[in-house]
Amino acid sequence: MVSKKNISITVNGEAKEAEVEPRMLLAHFLRDVVGLTGTHIGCDTTNCGACTVIMDGKAVKSCTILAVQANGRKILTIEGLSKGREKLHPVQQSFVDKHGLQCGYCTSGMILTSYWLLKNRKNVTEEEIRAAISGNLCRCTGYDNIVESIKDASKKMEEEGDPIEEHPEIKVRA
Amino acid sequence: MELSEKLVRGEGRFVDDIQMPGMLYLGFARSQYARAKILKISGAHLTHKEVNFEVVEVGEGATEGGPTALSHPVLANGYVGYVGQPVAAVYSDDRYTAEDLIDSVEIEYEPLKAIVDPEESLKREAMYPGVRSNAIVDRYFGKEFTPDPSDIVIERRLVNRRIATNPIEPRGIVAAYDGNKLTVWVSTQSAHSIKEGLSEALKMEPDRIRVVQVDTGGAFGLKGGLFPEYVVACYLAMKERRPVKWIETRREHLLASRPGRGVVANLKLYAKRDGTITGLKGDVIVDNGAFTGGSGEFSPMFIARQLAGAYYLPNAHVRALSVLTNKAPQGPYRGAGRPEAMYFIERLVDGLADELKMDPVELRLINAAKETYTSPLGMQVEKSRAFLESAIKELDYEKYKEKENVGFAFLILYHATAGGESARIKVEDGRLKVWTGGNAHGQRHDIFIKTLLKEELGVSEDLVDALKGDTDQLQDGVGAWGSRSSMVLSSAVIVAARKIKEQIEKKHGKYTLKALLDGNWDEYEFFKYDKTESSLGANLVTADVDGYGRVRVKECLSYYDAGRVLDPDNARGQNAGGAVQGIGQTLSEELAFDEDGLPLITSISDAGVLSADLVPKFGIKFHKSESPLPSKAKGIGEAPTIGVPIALSRAIEKATGKLIVETPIKPEYLLPAGKD
Repeated sequence: MVSKKNISITVNGEAKEAEVEPRMLLAHFLRDVVGLTGTHIGCDTTNCGACTVIMDGKAVKSCTILAVQANGRKILTIEGLSKGREKLHPVQQSFVDKHGLQCGYCTSGMILTSYWLLKNRKNVTEEEIRAAISGNLCRCTGYDNIVESIKDASKKMEEEGDPIEEHPEIKVRA
Repeated sequence: MELSEKLVRGEGRFVDDIQMPGMLYLGFARSQYARAKILKISGAHLTHKEVNFEVVEVGEGATEGGPTALSHPVLANGYVGYVGQPVAAVYSDDRYTAEDLIDSVEIEYEPLKAIVDPEESLKREAMYPGVRSNAIVDRYFGKEFTPDPSDIVIERRLVNRRIATNPIEPRGIVAAYDGNKLTVWVSTQSAHSIKEGLSEALKMEPDRIRVVQVDTGGAFGLKGGLFPEYVVACYLAMKERRPVKWIETRREHLLASRPGRGVVANLKLYAKRDGTITGLKGDVIVDNGAFTGGSGEFSPMFIARQLAGAYYLPNAHVRALSVLTNKAPQGPYRGAGRPEAMYFIERLVDGLADELKMDPVELRLINAAKETYTSPLGMQVEKSRAFLESAIKELDYEKYKEKENVGFAFLILYHATAGGESARIKVEDGRLKVWTGGNAHGQRHDIFIKTLLKEELGVSEDLVDALKGDTDQLQDGVGAWGSRSSMVLSSAVIVAARKIKEQIEKKHGKYTLKALLDGNWDEYEFFKYDKTESSLGANLVTADVDGYGRVRVKECLSYYDAGRVLDPDNARGQNAGGAVQGIGQTLSEELAFDEDGLPLITSISDAGVLSADLVPKFGIKFHKSESPLPSKAKGIGEAPTIGVPIALSRAIEKATGKLIVETPIKPEYLLPAGKD
């Protein structure tokens, strides 16, 4: 067997160090090693997007990234969006308010892709929203309520700002 | 914390989130052949020699009775019948090592000629020794009749190809055993079905099994049943006295779960020149797969019985067949026989309209049932003409009727209300805990349960915990499928609440919220219901087709009789979600096989599940004719998977001038002449 590697990944602002097999997927590192099970696995082939996390400011699918590739990088998971706060992040709140989830399995990935979109774009159109979440499959909602949630979140982030400060690398809304 | 809030924080508890000390990860070596004898297995931890149970049918569409010659063996018994069939099991205390061990299992096969096509299967030698024919169901419905020689005949061979259910969370189970009691945590639509199935398969007393439903990430019919993998996980947990986890990969889901549809119909519709339908003849053939344990023994009958649609059909004679093929067993998928039946009759009606050069909706009006009657095929068809008239108005059909790209569907949805459902309400420490027999998996029953309890008992939503299924908390239960929960589950909750109210009235002279919350109350209700209810629906779809045969759905509108709408947000979500599945079935979703029975589809994208950029915004209007149940609601969960494929197929037929007889409709079929 290939020898294990020591890695250190900043997850939701905290350094997480571990010795892992080089083949370990980032999704399994987050779920099984760090214990953050909000990142879900749905397809193993980068199609469904349930495993989406933010890595150094970009939305990525953690089921096809190796943990060793994330060594030294910063990861934001769904748990990090409202970490240490009583209130939900505006994007999370909008998904609650606008019924943007049913079974909840695709939700973490869907919210993080939406978060990435809204950090990068002001005044998003419906078409832009649908294109942005086209790598996140949902089998329950038919997407309508998700699109409405993201529109609502865009407004909320406009009004309230983004409570997360530790991700300056995500470029400000243009 | 409220469920939505938990889920958006990533704090849901799905089956793969469970970690226990000493847990084993289970994996399966699966057949690479569609049909073969197994000569030798080496390197496996568990084979049929040791784990020689059979999976009995449970869940939606299950037929009663124990194992038969055609039951699915838990692990292959010297023979494999489809690619992906579990042959042997391996386990390890690490996920990755379990995967490695699967690859180290060596299986020697003697390949046999696979039977892939269900119609060909009827002509081939019997698949198993001792079985007379590959038709495991062969029954007639209705009565032979002689059509009037002057009648018009519309004859079609219609096909709904197989599709995977594809919930975003695959199947999964964790099992643990303490020496006496087996506890199972599972992603399911019915904790009680799983318990019943495990008890029969493992030959264990039911009270030694506890099944707990965890957050369930979609199911769509698939997760009502028991699977071979679950039985092996439980066996191993008992053998090793360690917790065991099995989580399906997407590839395993596409190979070896229980796909839906897979039905061929050869039908003749008879009518007079004025458009009046006079009769229906033909056959319906379900592609059962290689074993029972899915719904293949039930679905051909269920389809045949519904073939009158929402119309007055005076004569009918239909043969219903289910046929062995070398594929995974067919299972229920959102609608489970309802979409197939309505697709067949509605395609014939559109064909009749073309033959008569009549507006298809006008033709539907002529044939809509003026009075409730029992069709010769056996189902009660409710009077439907008045509903259709209001659907035409509400969907603004007059505005669309001259368009080149519009399709209309008229449907009847039979609710699986028969069998009833259970609920338990327990009041302690000033809070209400509610358990129900049907287990939600994306329908958010928790929301309407809270609404109903507020109405019945005046208790605010934040004092109610709508809990997941747990067979130790609820003595009996059925399951969440067949558009039934807003009808029977809700009614069980209402009746249980009323019983508590009565007790309080008896004790305190009158009901007060204070008496409820200060007291300790515990009421279990099995709401019995024997009748199959139904409701009507209509869809209108417009679609454009480009020069490459690519279809763009422009508008997709629904008008469904939902009775009392318990939760409008949720009902809209059910409609949109079902409509995307309906579009998927029509345009892209298929589990295709080659001539040797080898699957051609191995990822969720190849399977045709649609993303947000490929579907329109959906619209729904509700018709509110209340049901006779205490909740007054009518389920609509399966209506869009019934109506949308019908209306979209017609829209495409109109837009391209090509006769549509199969789903999915492939772009190459729609290429303009000279471009293919």
